[in-house]
Amino acid sequence: MRWLARLRMRIQMLFSRGRAEARLDDELHDHLERQIAENLAAGMSAEEARFSALRLFGNPALLREQARAAWSWAWLELLLRDVRFGVRTLARTPGFAAIAILVMALGIGVNTAIFSVVHHILIEPLQFSQPQQLYAVWARSDAQGQSHIAASGPDFLDYHDQSTSFSAMAEMIPHFTVTWTGDGEPRLVNCAGISDDFFAMLGVHPYMGRFYNAGEYARLESGMIVVSYRFWKNQLQSDPHVIGRVIHFEDTAETIIGVAPPMPDLLPDTDVFPTLTTRPSWPYMKWRGNKFLTVMARLKPGATAASASEDLTAILRRAPGEPADVRVELVPLKDDLVGGSRTQLRIVMAATALVLLIACINIAALLLARSARRGAEIALRVSLGAGPRRLSQQFIAEGLILALSGGALGVVAAWFGLRLIGRLPGLSLPRMEGIHLDGVVLLTTVGVAIATTLLFGWAPLLAFSRSNLSPALRSGRTETGRSHRRSFAWLVVAEIASSVTLSVCAGLLLRSFWRVEHVDPGFQPESMLTTYLRTNYYSPEGRRFWRDVLTGVSALPGVRSAAVADCTPGRDAATATLVFADRANDPDHAPPTQGCWTSADFFKTSATPLLRGRFFSASDDADSPPVVIVNAEAARLYWPGENPVGKRIGVNYTGAGRVSKAAPRMREIVGVVGSIKQGALDAATRPAVYMPYLQDETSHDMATMSLFVRSSGAAPALADGIRARIHAVEPDQPVLSLQPITDLMAESLAPRRYSLSLLGAFAGLAVLLSALGIYGVVSYTTQQRTREFGVRIALGASRGSVMSQVFRQGLVLAAIGAALGTGGALLATQALSRLLFQVSPLDPASFAFAVVLLAVIANCACLLPAWRASRLDPIKALRTE
Amino acid sequence: MGKPNDLVQGTLDLLILKTIFLEPKHGWAIAKRIQQVSGEVLQVQQGSLYPALHRLEQQGWIKAKWAESETGRQAKFYSLTAAGRKQLEAETANWNRLSAAIDLVVTEA
Repeated sequence: MRWLARLRMRIQMLFSRGRAEARLDDELHDHLERQIAENLAAGMSAEEARFSALRLFGNPALLREQARAAWSWAWLELLLRDVRFGVRTLARTPGFAAIAILVMALGIGVNTAIFSVVHHILIEPLQFSQPQQLYAVWARSDAQGQSHIAASGPDFLDYHDQSTSFSAMAEMIPHFTVTWTGDGEPRLVNCAGISDDFFAMLGVHPYMGRFYNAGEYARLESGMIVVSYRFWKNQLQSDPHVIGRVIHFEDTAETIIGVAPPMPDLLPDTDVFPTLTTRPSWPYMKWRGNKFLTVMARLKPGATAASASEDLTAILRRAPGEPADVRVELVPLKDDLVGGSRTQLRIVMAATALVLLIACINIAALLLARSARRGAEIALRVSLGAGPRRLSQQFIAEGLILALSGGALGVVAAWFGLRLIGRLPGLSLPRMEGIHLDGVVLLTTVGVAIATTLLFGWAPLLAFSRSNLSPALRSGRTETGRSHRRSFAWLVVAEIASSVTLSVCAGLLLRSFWRVEHVDPGFQPESMLTTYLRTNYYSPEGRRFWRDVLTGVSALPGVRSAAVADCTPGRDAATATLVFADRANDPDHAPPTQGCWTSADFFKTSATPLLRGRFFSASDDADSPPVVIVNAEAARLYWPGENPVGKRIGVNYTGAGRVSKAAPRMREIVGVVGSIKQGALDAATRPAVYMPYLQDETSHDMATMSLFVRSSGAAPALADGIRARIHAVEPDQPVLSLQPITDLMAESLAPRRYSLSLLGAFAGLAVLLSALGIYGVVSYTTQQRTREFGVRIALGASRGSVMSQVFRQGLVLAAIGAALGTGGALLATQALSRLLFQVSPLDPASFAFAVVLLAVIANCACLLPAWRASRLDPIKALRTE
Repeated sequence: MGKPNDLVQGTLDLLILKTIFLEPKHGWAIAKRIQQVSGEVLQVQQGSLYPALHRLEQQGWIKAKWAESETGRQAKFYSLTAAGRKQLEAETANWNRLSAAIDLVVTEA
């Protein structure tokens, strides 16, 4: 029962401390009295007896403390006292406390938000069972310069039937659209066609109802449909009785049999999952060269990706018409989904980490500066008997207060930051659904901040344990200033170096952005509207629709010209290959080109200059001789030094969704136009050919095209009129929003804009923090040298020379930091080179900009301390010593 | 604040327990008694004595009572508890074994 007694004792000690302490004092006092009495009896004088007893007794306060330590609650009491004391001292310097807490909150907030996003996208496993077994299957041929080649229907069947490495394999058409009619205004619905093993391969189960059965996959038109969770929730109003409901897509009626579960990582925009049958299948699924299918597979347990890839490579090489060096690659599904965002995310992550580093350095510098000013206080406490452990406990308590308030505020900042990132318009990152504040990340950043605070809150004590107390007591400052100042200065140098590195990176991105914005797109995007029109013709029957739409829209007042084309300038164009009439053709190395089917007024509408020959005219129709216009880049590449007009070429389509129905006809080149940027503005200009849409000879004839309208006045005002003219031709035609083409182009630059603004913001933050650091170190040392400056001024130094001394110190720090930062930037910008556009990673302007910026900031930061030093009243300065 | 004459902690505990074995004593008397009996060799510092007393009290080996002392003043008297007696026996046995062993080594070797 001893533990019970002990517990009782402890609890007693916790609640009746006041009495216990009074008793302890009594006890010690009694002891002292007895000692004095004994000394008196031994013949000492009264005073001597008392001093001798006290000497023997030692430090009463310390003794009390040591006895109390045995009461087992001492640590709690001390902690509380330290916390109270810490809050008081911090409240005495509210500026310092506010800045430290704010810097910490910013560092933690920004880092947690961004690392959470990056961690979710790059590192967290996909939300499927055994996600590491899931792979995307792509072919590549280095000889043809093609990677990421999709599969054709026959390719997939070969893989599926002959390979032995997979437990399941599925093909899909990840994105196409159909029109949903019969429920209000016709709407476009995003489809992902899936083959029969798709859901089983992923290992997911229906949210409601069921998935397709084998019988439904054995018919081309099953009349059944599985919808996505998103579609069910948003478009079908979470209808609990949705199973069995019939919805109409164009001219088919489909019965809903199931709702797929939420799959945030895969196909997030899909509304419905129609069947993609393999046997029987549609004609376009039977063409060996029609490579447009995405293949995914789940590895058998025990099989390796390398052996499976060998397996598939062998299968594909047996197929007719494949290049000899073709290889099949298995890309882990997560990497495949994350794709091109990886580089950007990593750069952002590195920049964020740098910001955290700078924030930590700043906190450290602030703490160091502060503790240096507290020399007298610490010396007093040491001489009153505070041991190093007690002192460090107190500093730790103070650090903890800072770190915990900063951390708490940081969590709030991170939460808001994450919500902000989730809502940024046009930020197209994969796996954005389900992003959440990451606990591990949060703990890590808060941990780093706390560790910094504690480390640097405590470090100054090391200097004190060596220091001689009496001068510190007398003058209120310590003799350790020198080493102190130096470590402090190095911190600031590190901070400046990081800022320079970030500023250089931001400068390079800024210049790239400027270059991209000022690139010549080959057309005039202003006053140009466009919309994407999807019909269901796929045959010459559609000619009437397009012709009527063009006639109607062209007649609208305010429309200068209108055209249709199956490519969008500044955005996309299908890929084709060229066949030449005037030279030998190597089918294995057919020259690639962008191809576009246009109406006669396309170049007039886009305002693209004609360089040679003529534009198309109304007489270039289905029955006239086939013609083609090439761009300047194609002319330069394929007819160097020659006039291409009059030459004859064929254009062969093999790509996704667009396949030549027969051997291409030979066409006469009738004109050369300026090169339009058919891809993003920052992509290289590629050769392109344009042909009259009435002469379309591909599987996609008349199916989908974009309408382009050049207006004489304000373009958006025309949108309603255009929509009305289209509906006058075909009331059921869905019309997506009519967008200024400048908006589309801005969208394609969104990732660039985000990288730029993020890095720019980080660089700005870093520069600001560095300014704070320089200001801190300079004003701290200036204060330390008050007496020296006083003497100098008293001896006749001019105010100017004092000022220049202060400046010199700050500028030396800035110069060292800038030199180191430039070195760091030389390394960092190499990693950035993929994001640069027509700007060298060693761009002198960006480097100069960063260095000059830092120099200016450093000067500004020195201004106040220097001014203060020059205003010193020498009498006062000397007297305070 | 290391003091070379400080008693090893366990030893001080044993000495305190032994000193109050026969009758309750207050702090000063305990220190004096140890000093006397050891022939002025063992000097117990207050800095060690009071923490040790409070620790032993926390352990439940000794208990304290405020009572009037021989001078007529209130003083805190420490006495052994039942657990303290057992502890004293155990520590005495331990000490005897240890000192005999050290004695053997020192005289024989």
